[in-house]
Amino acid sequence: MARAPVLRIGNTLVVTVLEDLHDRDAMSLQTELLGQLERTGATGVLLDLSVIEIVDSFLGRMLNDIAAGVRLLGAQMVVVGIQPAVAITLVELGLELRGVRTAVNADRGLALLRRLVNAALYQVTMRPGLDGRNGKGNAHGHR
Amino acid sequence: MPILGEDDIVQSRQHAREAARQLGFGAVDQSRIATAVSELARNIVRYATDGRGQITIRQLTSTDGRERTGIEIVVSDEGPGIPDIDQALSDGFTSGGGMGMGLPGTRRLMDEMTIESAVGSGTTITIRKWRR
Amino acid sequence: MINRNDRDRMSDTIEQQRQTISELQTPVIQVWDRILALPIVGGLDTARTQEMNEALLQKIVDTGAEIVIIDITAVPVVDTAVAKHLLETVAAARLLGAEVLMVGLSTRTAITLVHLGVDLGGVITRTTMAKGLDLAFARLGLEVVSRRGASRAAASELALDGDGV
Repeated sequence: MARAPVLRIGNTLVVTVLEDLHDRDAMSLQTELLGQLERTGATGVLLDLSVIEIVDSFLGRMLNDIAAGVRLLGAQMVVVGIQPAVAITLVELGLELRGVRTAVNADRGLALLRRLVNAALYQVTMRPGLDGRNGKGNAHGHR
Repeated sequence: MPILGEDDIVQSRQHAREAARQLGFGAVDQSRIATAVSELARNIVRYATDGRGQITIRQLTSTDGRERTGIEIVVSDEGPGIPDIDQALSDGFTSGGGMGMGLPGTRRLMDEMTIESAVGSGTTITIRKWRR
Repeated sequence: MINRNDRDRMSDTIEQQRQTISELQTPVIQVWDRILALPIVGGLDTARTQEMNEALLQKIVDTGAEIVIIDITAVPVVDTAVAKHLLETVAAARLLGAEVLMVGLSTRTAITLVHLGVDLGGVITRTTMAKGLDLAFARLGLEVVSRRGASRAAASELALDGDGV
């Protein structure tokens, strides 16, 4: 989709939202993204909103929905570049996007994504209680 | 500015943001104003008859001694009207839950909001924000 | 009689002073790489919270901070309204990928908040800034290590020579 191209880099899908999205574009983005996840088996999604100056309740809810969908497909998503003005507005609207992981920029976002994907891996392969620890706590060997 | 369809939601919020910017509102207020207009424009597309309505943006100058600039946006439609305005304004009908018209949220973003509505005769919502 | 020019100048000065006071009251300090500290002095109302949030979020963007330690030791009253404002700050910082720790919660404040049924929504708290920093370092995988040997001996010699160090 032209307004929010999806790039595949290794195991990560990078989506940069380039324009203010119409409601239907946001819905297409969700379909496109989840579809690509399924097709490619990518484990991480980086969603870049750094160019977006207006995020209303519809897009806010879409972000929640997309995050949930990504999780259901066994992948991780980090949203980056939420502008301060947008963050404040969303919070005042009552949308805290609790189910969405975020980072301040793409660099940090990719680092976080790496950690999240690794942690998820450990959760699957490590049996809890094996040495008194569970998978989550000790996957962050490298920070 | 007429609202004729979904595409006009983006256009009206962009217009509102630009108008706010020209009136000297800061980035955060521009975002608040644009988002409030987006919510109201979407209500028109979703609930008004044929999804049609009207948005008017104008500058305000206060007359109470202090010289303040503000923005006023009037969003109106000839739709079915809001049967219970109080209920629509109560927090149970926030946009966060995915239902309702997001009026409480819009109210929080602006300084003033007035609703005129009656079943069968349409709705007019006026929102205002003053520059600090 | 004040003419128009004087009035505009006065109004500008007042605005400038207001901003200076505002910045002095809620300075955002970078205490370490990725760690910001925000000591709040005085009461917290809607207007102040808004200004504070804007300054804080911009600082998060500028420094790439991942942890924000909000110190409320000097906030005289923490009631439902203040708690709500603080929670807004926490939520906004989270959207920029920063986690917020709150320090300086007094026993009295804790009792008040419990009494009012205020849920700080999972915000991690510590009683002092030192403890908050400790936790922040841990979260970032950092550790403070004591230096031993030559450099430490040299430092203690300086302490003996110097005045009241």
